Amino acid sequence: MSLGVVLRAPVSRRVWTEILYLLVSAPLAAFGFAYTLATVVLGAGLAVTAAGIPLLAFGLYVAREIAGLHRGLAGRLLGEHIEPPAPVRTAPGLARVQIRLSDAAAWRAMAYFLVKLPITVIHLYILALTWAWSLVAITYPIQHAAGVNMDTVRDAHGAVRHGLVVGGVVFDTWPRQLAVCATGVLLLFVAPWATHVALMPDRMLMRWLLGRRGLAERVRDLEETRARAVDDAAATLRRIERDLHDGAQVRLIALTMQLTMVRDAVPDGAVRTLVDTAQATAREAIQELRELVRGIHPPALDHGLDTALTTLAARSGVPVEANVELGARPTAAIESIAYFCAAELLANVARHSGATRAWLSLTQAEGRLRLQVRDDGHGVAAPAGGSGLSGLLDRVRTVDGRLGIVSPPGGPTVVTVELPSHA
Amino acid sequence: MRIVIADDAAILREGLAHLLTARGHEVVAAVGDPQALRAAVAEHRPDVAVVDIRMPPTHTDEGLRTAIELRRDHPDVGILLFSQYVETRYATDLLAGSPAGVGYLLKERVGDIDDFVDALHRVASGGTALDPEVVGHLLNAGRRGVSALTPRERDVLGLMAEGRTNAAIAKTLVVSDRAVEKHIANIFLKLDLPPSGDDHRRVLAVLRYLGT
Repeated sequence: MSLGVVLRAPVSRRVWTEILYLLVSAPLAAFGFAYTLATVVLGAGLAVTAAGIPLLAFGLYVAREIAGLHRGLAGRLLGEHIEPPAPVRTAPGLARVQIRLSDAAAWRAMAYFLVKLPITVIHLYILALTWAWSLVAITYPIQHAAGVNMDTVRDAHGAVRHGLVVGGVVFDTWPRQLAVCATGVLLLFVAPWATHVALMPDRMLMRWLLGRRGLAERVRDLEETRARAVDDAAATLRRIERDLHDGAQVRLIALTMQLTMVRDAVPDGAVRTLVDTAQATAREAIQELRELVRGIHPPALDHGLDTALTTLAARSGVPVEANVELGARPTAAIESIAYFCAAELLANVARHSGATRAWLSLTQAEGRLRLQVRDDGHGVAAPAGGSGLSGLLDRVRTVDGRLGIVSPPGGPTVVTVELPSHA
Repeated sequence: MRIVIADDAAILREGLAHLLTARGHEVVAAVGDPQALRAAVAEHRPDVAVVDIRMPPTHTDEGLRTAIELRRDHPDVGILLFSQYVETRYATDLLAGSPAGVGYLLKERVGDIDDFVDALHRVASGGTALDPEVVGHLLNAGRRGVSALTPRERDVLGLMAEGRTNAAIAKTLVVSDRAVEKHIANIFLKLDLPPSGDDHRRVLAVLRYLGT
């Protein structure tokens, strides 16, 4: 650190913004402290009534906003840029209250408000101690001349003396007055550093309590956003299926009806042949659309995975014995993944395994789904074999699922897919 | 034939009504939701109701559930389920109990209007009419006894399951009535359905085969 930096410290921009920060954040700290106490006390006090919990939830929501003010101040005045915690999920009705109550970031913000007030008091004290005392000391000769702020003492020789008394020493002579003045100047250069150092705990607390938390929280954020993305995708596919069902498909079917009426109206001959061709084309389009929809969102999934899987097993080219035991319904995205896994596995059995029979089972334990497809084929199924298994693996991985393949030469092949019940 | 149509897509409802009226049938009501369907059937007592599986409010299987209710409350009214998709579950739900007077067709079959009207007639007169695609899936689903049947016998049983008469089967397969009768006798034998005065052996054979 160069001498220049030390000399310029009292008039540097940093020190003034830091003082400004202290002065501005002090009332905010007092407010945050009172707010937190009031919210927690009121929320807890009213917890016996229906209002308590929603009130606390709302209080936590506001706490996040106040924390935002603190972060804003710190960013603007201290240059302390704190990454805000991930936004909370939104949900309708009671779920929103529950999400708010379990919002760790909001609780941490409240903890910060509680600690912020005492440390602000200490800061202000340090600020006063350094800056005010340095000003008092520097202006001491003037005060002495004006006779303010003086003690009057009688020394050992009985003479009456006026001046500042520290440790029995009276600072009344010129050299002594200058010494006090010099101490003041010294304090003036110490003050900025004292202010700066005193802010360290606040900066740390802000980073710790108002910022985005470590890796674990980041992972949880990512998991949540991924689950949302996966659910969104499932919902979008479902919507596309509805749109096709109620739009394009209906129109094509109406077209075949109209063509039928046209056919009835024209005599046998070239025109009727044309109409027949048009009708056949429309029918093919309907069939293609139906296959397409089945690949997007099989309608049977509306009734749950058990219906969809038994339907799938019934449709399989190889006889399949399906055994589905489901308790709570998994989320739509998981149902969809499980369904398409089963479809792919059964298609593989029919296409590649040479099996004459297959068994499909779906069980649920400890929040995980376990889908197993077994066949009596010749084995050697592998993800690299281009049998669609690698695509399956990709699909399963998007939700932290697992894929296990046991397929010795000569068979049998057992493929197990494990999925969480909730994406 | 007096017909009630229930489909939430107006364009299909009206189109079908138009088509059937042009063929000389009486469409007594064309409605768009389950409540209106129940009311229309109670009021008009039609010969047959054409019911879309997906209807409001959830657009999943309201139509199917209403159809099952109607079968219980008005057993004399034939029900033809009408869907854009083939779901074996729907067909087996509908067939559970008695397969008489019910049908399940894909909507696109209205293109072959003669076949479609024929299916409506069968259902209205207490027969069955299943979509060939539905039958195919059901045959896959319930495979008990499959191995014993020859491919030709399987074809015959499939057509029986669709609700065809012996004459219609003979025409479709381009064989004589006699040959069809022989195949059917073999099917009864292989599925262990001895003659019993009752002539529901056809239905029993189909059910046995479909595994419902």
